[in-house]
Amino acid sequence: MNIVSPTPDTFAVKDAWKPLPMGFWDMGTAQHFLRRVGFSATPEAVTSVLRSSPGAYIETAYRAGAVLPRSEDLKTFTDEAPARYNNMYRVKDAEEKRKLRQELQREENELFRSFAMDWFHYAREPENSAREKLVMFLQDIFVVEQQKIKDPQQLYAMQQMLRDGTTLSYPELCKRVSREPAMIRYLDLDKNTAHKPNENFARELFELFILGEGNYTEDDIKEASRAFTGYRVMRRYKYYQAKKLQDKTDKTVFGETGNWNGDDVIDLTFKRPAARTFLIRELVKFYLTEEAVDEAYIEALGEQWANHQFSLPYLTKTFFESRLFFHPAYRGNMVKSPVHFHIGLCQDLRLDVAPFQSRVLRGMATMGQAFYNPPNVRGWLYGEYWINSTTISARRQLVDYLFANLNEKRLNGNEKRALSAAREAGRGNFLVTNERLKQVLSLASDDLAKHFTTYFITEPSRANYSKSLKKIIGDTASDGAARRVRSAIIALLQSPAYNLS
Amino acid sequence: MQNLPLTRREFVRGAGGLGFLAFSGVAPAFLARSAMAQTPAPERDRSILVIVQLAGGNDGLNTVIPFTDDRYYNLRPTLGLKNNLLELNDDLALHPACQPLHELYGEGKLSIVQNVGYPNPNRSHFRSTEIWETGSDSDTFQREGWLGRYFDNDCSGSPEAESVDADPAAIHVGDMIPQTYLSLDSHSLFGMKPYGKFDRGQDPADLAYEKLLQADHIEGNASYLQHTMMNTLVTERRVEKIIGRYKPQASYPGTKLAQSLKRVAALIHADMETRVYFVSQGGYDTHANQLNNHQRLLTELSTSMSAFQKDLTAHNKDDQVMTMTFSEFGRRPAENGSGGTDHGTAAPLFVMGSQVKGGLLGQTPELVTDATKDLTYSTDFRGVYSSVLDKWLEADSSKILGDKYEHVPFV
Repeated sequence: MNIVSPTPDTFAVKDAWKPLPMGFWDMGTAQHFLRRVGFSATPEAVTSVLRSSPGAYIETAYRAGAVLPRSEDLKTFTDEAPARYNNMYRVKDAEEKRKLRQELQREENELFRSFAMDWFHYAREPENSAREKLVMFLQDIFVVEQQKIKDPQQLYAMQQMLRDGTTLSYPELCKRVSREPAMIRYLDLDKNTAHKPNENFARELFELFILGEGNYTEDDIKEASRAFTGYRVMRRYKYYQAKKLQDKTDKTVFGETGNWNGDDVIDLTFKRPAARTFLIRELVKFYLTEEAVDEAYIEALGEQWANHQFSLPYLTKTFFESRLFFHPAYRGNMVKSPVHFHIGLCQDLRLDVAPFQSRVLRGMATMGQAFYNPPNVRGWLYGEYWINSTTISARRQLVDYLFANLNEKRLNGNEKRALSAAREAGRGNFLVTNERLKQVLSLASDDLAKHFTTYFITEPSRANYSKSLKKIIGDTASDGAARRVRSAIIALLQSPAYNLS
Repeated sequence: MQNLPLTRREFVRGAGGLGFLAFSGVAPAFLARSAMAQTPAPERDRSILVIVQLAGGNDGLNTVIPFTDDRYYNLRPTLGLKNNLLELNDDLALHPACQPLHELYGEGKLSIVQNVGYPNPNRSHFRSTEIWETGSDSDTFQREGWLGRYFDNDCSGSPEAESVDADPAAIHVGDMIPQTYLSLDSHSLFGMKPYGKFDRGQDPADLAYEKLLQADHIEGNASYLQHTMMNTLVTERRVEKIIGRYKPQASYPGTKLAQSLKRVAALIHADMETRVYFVSQGGYDTHANQLNNHQRLLTELSTSMSAFQKDLTAHNKDDQVMTMTFSEFGRRPAENGSGGTDHGTAAPLFVMGSQVKGGLLGQTPELVTDATKDLTYSTDFRGVYSSVLDKWLEADSSKILGDKYEHVPFV
């Protein structure tokens, strides 16, 4: 069953990044494509994508101009926050100051949580899923933690900048990142001055954004941090260059000397050979496989990418329609991230994301992927790192919840309001009801088992699981069949196979 | 409704012999173990290691303070600490937030190993954490952790590891398995949350889940998931019971670290066979506003460690347990312009326990006046590991670390 990974001897490097021949574009490849690019491969999505092609799907999914709608409350907060903060800082009375600060923090926290919920609802819509997954990929490169930043508008703006950034070149995106208030604060760029350098940003720019560890010297970092001086934030949300704080003397970065500014350093960095391959290796790790892919493939794509001015649209289209991306060795063996698991469940079961903040957000945290709160500046490690007894229990709990009855009497006031708002917005369908389970009982257990295994899990476990599921379901015309189908689906969604994509 | 099995042995029996042949990869080991299964006698006297990670890079010079050295105050005009220092000897003192640790030091239950590091230090959080967790040289890359290799060397052959009822080889608190535990062979690892309950409802869906778990899982990650899910199911029930009925004999603060250690104490008290525990405290990356942050971090650290030690002592478990801290690096001797310190190199670490010899060990770091310079380590961290492995866990450190390192006499 284990298919050997491709090597240059068995799978020519010159063919690896050519588009998949349309003769291979079938149910199997389409499911692999949809689950990896997005979060699920529902029957409708498979039918629809088979009428198109991987390249065309990617171009549509990643087209420019997408915006996550911002709530009115967040807009108001953004307009007022700079003045409110200034006011708070000016207050002399310690008690009064403390009260104002607490009030701001409380609001920020609340707005952050609604932003998180907005994002889950948005990413769950199939037309947004692929792009939002790419935004997640970029957020795992350009890491910012809510715990440090706290300001919901700065976090929202950073995410929207990355969303827009999916259509840019990578050097241009890096420059925008260096001007983004959340990043400026996260990596202490606003503390970096000619006289008192702070190396945090320059180090991560080389190590985590463009080159990878080992491809620069400590001196390069020291010199580069002098070029990133004077990056400041005005009125909380606006970047500006503080000319007086800039270091205007010569810096020597990667052997080149000049009065470089931050943008110059980014351009110099992209001249390093390592810049061609670093992001591609990250892309492979995030979307294709946890094992190392032969460097010859990475270098070949790196060269093509550099020849296209490091364009991200070029990179993603080439990558996702390539023959290597569809190689059988890379199918069905990636551990889903908690976000993938959660949103994928909603899509597979045709459910809305539950409207309850604590349920959704705390669940994500126990599964190990708290929204906008990766463990540290390196982001999440993905793959098998998601899996341990704690996170597995949390994944099982989520599935159980989706099949539980909602006891409306036991909801608290907030939850009741959230529930009626969700129903008004047409998002009240977030649990699998018994009525829905009964609908499938017209099928025999064979057909049900086959349907579930085809659409919910990947190839390797289908045959074995079908046999067990058929036994669990039994006769669909007999008593208690709905309950047995319920048990069968729950077990399937908690099984090892459903945790893979 | 059938109850879920409480041990792996019951799991094997309940699943019905042949069904388990389908466990590819896992099956042979499980079957072999089930064949030899005996309830192991609880071993009440074996040594246990608890690791406390100080993630982010703890500032060593403001932890153990060279208060008679003018160079220290010159390098740190705003961060240099002068008041309420807790003296260790004529020249060195602990941070004022370390009062509870200072008391343990006075009782001879705390060793402070000074200036620990390694050659050619790396200042990347991740790379340096990886070096500490794997015990590798700064220019070699290793996936397996130093304790993972200890499990590979010492645990697979022992009778209790063969038993299907064996407790996890190692337990960690938190969502992420520490790299310290990664190994070549598969050992049972268990992770738990610092707070909250683990409970799962009883449902026929649970039985269906167990049935699917027994299907053939050949692909790498599927088999890994299956293995983890089975172990989890068994251990979860046991651990939940133990923690639920635990009565601590010390008052633990509400902080995450303290609550994590309280759970570790509960499992130790219950005579789990687990010999290694790992807990973590984050936030030490103090590039800015260090004074307050570091004060808070060290308060959390010392009150948590001290409550843990008191609790163990009250339960007569203190002779069995050694607790050790580590951090990926210390910080630059000169403060930066943001009221903080940038990434540095060597730093002190703490070893706590009733069997610890106590005192200050190793050489005090030599400060230089050049503000761009870092400390040069004087004790290799693998010397600390080799002492733990040879003298505490009774293993062979040269096999595990690939070389012999000079012991540090804290045990």
